[in-house]
Amino acid sequence: MILHNYDLYEDCYRVRLLASCTEQELELVNVDAFPGAEEKSETYLKLNPLGRLPILEDGDVILRDLAAILIYVAEKDAKARFIPTEAKARAAMFDWLGFACGDLSVATQARAVALLDAPGDGVALRAQARALFRVLDDHLTRQALSGQGYVAGDTATLADLALFPAFALSRDFNLDHDEFPALRLWARRMRTLPGFITMPGIPDYH
Amino acid sequence: MTQSGWVPVALSAMIEAGTSAGVVVDGAEIVVWRDISGKAHAWEDRCPHRGMKMSFGFVRGDHIACLYHGWEYDESGNCQYIPAHPDLEVPKSICISRYGVAETGGMIWAHVPLGSEAGAAPELAEAEGLRSLYVDASVAAVASALGSDVSGSMLTVSTADVALSIGVQPISDTQCALHVTVPMGTSVEEKNAVLDWCEALRRQVENSEAMA
Ligand code: FES
Repeated sequence: MILHNYDLYEDCYRVRLLASCTEQELELVNVDAFPGAEEKSETYLKLNPLGRLPILEDGDVILRDLAAILIYVAEKDAKARFIPTEAKARAAMFDWLGFACGDLSVATQARAVALLDAPGDGVALRAQARALFRVLDDHLTRQALSGQGYVAGDTATLADLALFPAFALSRDFNLDHDEFPALRLWARRMRTLPGFITMPGIPDYH
Repeated sequence: MTQSGWVPVALSAMIEAGTSAGVVVDGAEIVVWRDISGKAHAWEDRCPHRGMKMSFGFVRGDHIACLYHGWEYDESGNCQYIPAHPDLEVPKSICISRYGVAETGGMIWAHVPLGSEAGAAPELAEAEGLRSLYVDASVAAVASALGSDVSGSMLTVSTADVALSIGVQPISDTQCALHVTVPMGTSVEEKNAVLDWCEALRRQVENSEAMA
């Protein structure tokens, strides 16, 4: 599998993290996204007319949607670790995956405004991201009551992996972790997953 | 208005051994951390080297290390190790100021302001921490919404047949944290009902702040 990658994009990190946790090789093609905007070059627009990263290529499969890429990589996991098979847990996983890839894109944007000169209203985006972190913190607080340490059960799923970068990188757009205690504990558990890797902005404690 | 005395800054259960968190009391930034042996510490949240927040750092045994350049501080706040100068005997003058710290009623407490003489900590009944609720409103606004008075940094409220003991942490004039604890042995259904109540309270108080 080839990942057209930019190291500082959290969406690319989401794919690298998943591949690492599922023990799959990714061939990285590094794209000069900032400041070069290479993903908007003629060559790249042919691969993805939306002019965005990440892009995943696997033989004749070309994927550009974050959720589609994540599901594809998770389904290729020989040990099928991160997509539950039981209907309820599976549905909950997809529910939170949608939250991670859709709603939480405001956090991705807030960070891009703060760090990478992207256009947008940084203050409003940060406020929206904060409201969403509260939703997630409330949810994980309830999960803990029934002994479940992750968003869709008692083990980490694809949704947790997709959610983790937004929280771990929020200090990049000046949103601190102080007021999300349940998220702090969850993020700490995520760090202990076999295959866990970091990216610039996420400290490696060891 | 800065109060003087013991203030709850976190639920005991939310600061696991070997972790740290940043908290704010009336604008003062404090790092709360628990060493590997389980002992809680509350210090000024500022590394003497270049001012990095110590709450961004990481705990190593009974030391806490700064994220920026790895300076390590022992439990008395003295810098013990500077990675860039591994053989240096670190001068005693490099140290972080500590707050008085106590644990009671399922919460970690710090004595504010920094440097104040810490009297005996409150003695509260054993309780189970349910959640810390961060609200965009002053302590006074929350207390008036609850129709209850804060006494010794605590509010007591009954909801869904559960008697809550709530530790109140003023963060700023527009923000506070409520450390909500329930009696030992509260059932899961009751706890869920209290969580409903918490979220509704936050909405109610913040909506009326927005109207004001
Ligand atoms: S700022 Fe803390 S070690 Fe440099």
